[in-house]
Amino acid sequence: MSNSQYDVVIIGAGVSGNLIAKELGLAGKKVLILEAGPAIPDSREQYMENFYLALAKTPESPYPSLAGRTGPGVGTLPDPAVLPTPRATVLSIGGTPDVSHLIQSETAGVSGTTPDNQPEVRELQFSSTYERIGGGTAWHWLGSVPRLVPHDLTMKTTYDVFYDWPIAYSEMQRLWGLAESEIGVAASVAQQQPLQAAIGMTYPPGYQYPMGPIPSSVVDQTVSNGVSGMSVPGEGSEGGKEYSVFVTNTPAGRNSEPYQDRRVCAGNTNCIPICPIQAKWDPTVTLGDALNTGNVTVSYQSVATNIAVDGNNVTQIDYLKWSYDDKGNLQSTPASVSGTIYVAACHAIENAKLLLLSNGQKGIANTSDQVGRNLMDHVLYLAWALAPSQVWGYRGPLATGGIESLRDGEFRTNRAAFRMEIGNEGWNFACGDPYTTTLDFITGTNGSQLNPGATRLGGTALVNTLNDRLTRQFRFGLLLEQAPQPDNCVTIDQNNKDGLGIPRPHVDYGFDKYTLEGFRVAADTCSAIFQQMGAEEFTQPTVKPYPPDKYPDGKTMGPGDFNYEGKMYHMYGAGHIMGTHRMGTDPDTSVVDATQKSHDVQNLWIVGSGSFPTVATANPTLTIMALAFKSAEAIKAALGA
Amino acid sequence: MSAALTGFQSSFLRPFLDPTNLSEVFYNFAVAQVGQTAMDNLLNTFRAIQKQPAQQIADTLLEVKIPTGKESSQAQLAQAIILMWYLGSWYPPPGTNGKQQVISSQAYTKSLVWNVAQSHPMGFSAFTFGYWSQPPAGLDAFGVNTGGGQ
Repeated sequence: MSNSQYDVVIIGAGVSGNLIAKELGLAGKKVLILEAGPAIPDSREQYMENFYLALAKTPESPYPSLAGRTGPGVGTLPDPAVLPTPRATVLSIGGTPDVSHLIQSETAGVSGTTPDNQPEVRELQFSSTYERIGGGTAWHWLGSVPRLVPHDLTMKTTYDVFYDWPIAYSEMQRLWGLAESEIGVAASVAQQQPLQAAIGMTYPPGYQYPMGPIPSSVVDQTVSNGVSGMSVPGEGSEGGKEYSVFVTNTPAGRNSEPYQDRRVCAGNTNCIPICPIQAKWDPTVTLGDALNTGNVTVSYQSVATNIAVDGNNVTQIDYLKWSYDDKGNLQSTPASVSGTIYVAACHAIENAKLLLLSNGQKGIANTSDQVGRNLMDHVLYLAWALAPSQVWGYRGPLATGGIESLRDGEFRTNRAAFRMEIGNEGWNFACGDPYTTTLDFITGTNGSQLNPGATRLGGTALVNTLNDRLTRQFRFGLLLEQAPQPDNCVTIDQNNKDGLGIPRPHVDYGFDKYTLEGFRVAADTCSAIFQQMGAEEFTQPTVKPYPPDKYPDGKTMGPGDFNYEGKMYHMYGAGHIMGTHRMGTDPDTSVVDATQKSHDVQNLWIVGSGSFPTVATANPTLTIMALAFKSAEAIKAALGA
Repeated sequence: MSAALTGFQSSFLRPFLDPTNLSEVFYNFAVAQVGQTAMDNLLNTFRAIQKQPAQQIADTLLEVKIPTGKESSQAQLAQAIILMWYLGSWYPPPGTNGKQQVISSQAYTKSLVWNVAQSHPMGFSAFTFGYWSQPPAGLDAFGVNTGGGQ
């Protein structure tokens, strides 16, 4: 055992790291958090100003564009090779290595077949992004906190595909309860009741959410009325079975009443990129609690480079403490710190990178050879339409309702399930509105598809036309289950390094038939619902075709596009990066155990959504935090607390 | 002129008490981008027809009857002025050298397209908890000239 001043050294100040720090700090243990990125600002006003001034209001637009430097980074794509903490961003992802932190060889899907003659698409753009700043990626999480359904944990047992989770549903219910209290979840058990018959969702007797639900939007109400009595038929061996389609209020990590000294939601419609009033829980809330225990210290601008091991034990973390000198030059100083227990909490891609880089790049915690593999996302299918009457989007939290009833069924033997999120931001996600449609009707273009006549308008005619179109816009975002595939993986790219000289992550990514079949049904289901509602669909299968001058061979597919059975699709990232150090009971096939402790290294926990052995269809943050509670309990026990 | 082009009440665009003074900010910004002469020419055209109904003024300044792409640079300046009001950003008219940019944070938080959608700029809501579960107030409450106001 170490005689260091720290009981626990945590790498990463995000959802998991901060929660574990808080729990250990409350138990009287001394904790150090090494955070790669810059400190949390005293006020979020600077982040808001960055957001207001950003031309492209992407998820990362409020946050430091050059880590450690402040001020707006409008329209710049810095070279990751000069940054201390480059990260994947919406504007840079899929780009060449001089703009994209993640290295990918190709980005438009290549359709083919596997050796056993199953359809597949390879070389797809991995489209999800993450932050490397104090507070982590959940600065810009959506705030939706649905629980998993029981069969999500037993895919092998129930449907004979993939893996079972090593945790029972009853135990997850206990852990979700802890997480819902920490976050302050607004929801009603009674409103979730119809999901018991549909997908087996249950709660322990007498369970109540910390606060009442967030009211459903006019958009939700319109979809709910529009699908009244609707069902979709099962396919193949499920012929004759009908799956009912209905809207459910979504449990939310935002306040419907004051909680933890934070305000109620004012419907800023900006959960992503940033809630201006912190009505939505984020990891800085929990970090504040952790620091208030008096037992937790954070070292910012400290990038872990090596988890040093001696046999089956971590002995120290080597890291680089970086800063900019007054001439703006990046400087770094090597340092090391030791503790009794170590926690890697850097999110799925950076966790994998750090584990693979450690021990002189021989890697650690990897007897299973699964570190970095099974990279998954809730690949997102986006479908958009004009409702037959006004629904007034662009109001309220970004999402308040969804269709949950298609998240489970016998079909999961053959294809991906999905949860359907109903958006409250018109076509903002779909086509950059209200900007695109406004430009169309003023300058006579048709980027939105709503101005096919290239009309130019002004005055009252402009107001009335835009009002009609904008207030009828709505969209569905479908979170598709993705199969765990060993060849979807994060590796180390020796040819591309960051500003500290650390090799960057290389990503190989694609879809197997299970995921592709999910896309097919997802698209058909959205179209059927739009038709049932009397809505006019505008979904586009190709979003950003390659410019002809760059691909003179006539390539028409763009990043994230792919073809399946002769039909074009576009996939988006959900921002849910999962699976790179999966949990399980068998050390031969998994990296961590049910508490997220490494099978190989006795005093190392590897935490976060990288531990998910399967991803199911629920937004992951609630379950990330639930698992972090379980880790904190195990670490406390190991320390004899 | 901006009231006619945008379809909003002039008292909404330039309130009696106006610490933000966006109309002056936008005027100065556009002049810096396209030059005083181009702005003066547009204003002179406006002054010659300013007694006409608002929609007629807008249609004339924007040359809406001329096929898109064939309208004059003066009409394209009028488009850029509407875009400043609606989106808070400068979109350089064809043939000018400026950079597309958000003019200021207040230009964003007061941009009018959100009023046209009967909503609020994303990230800047003055509404209160739960408003989204009910239909919004009418367009006149959002400053739009619906026939009564000037």
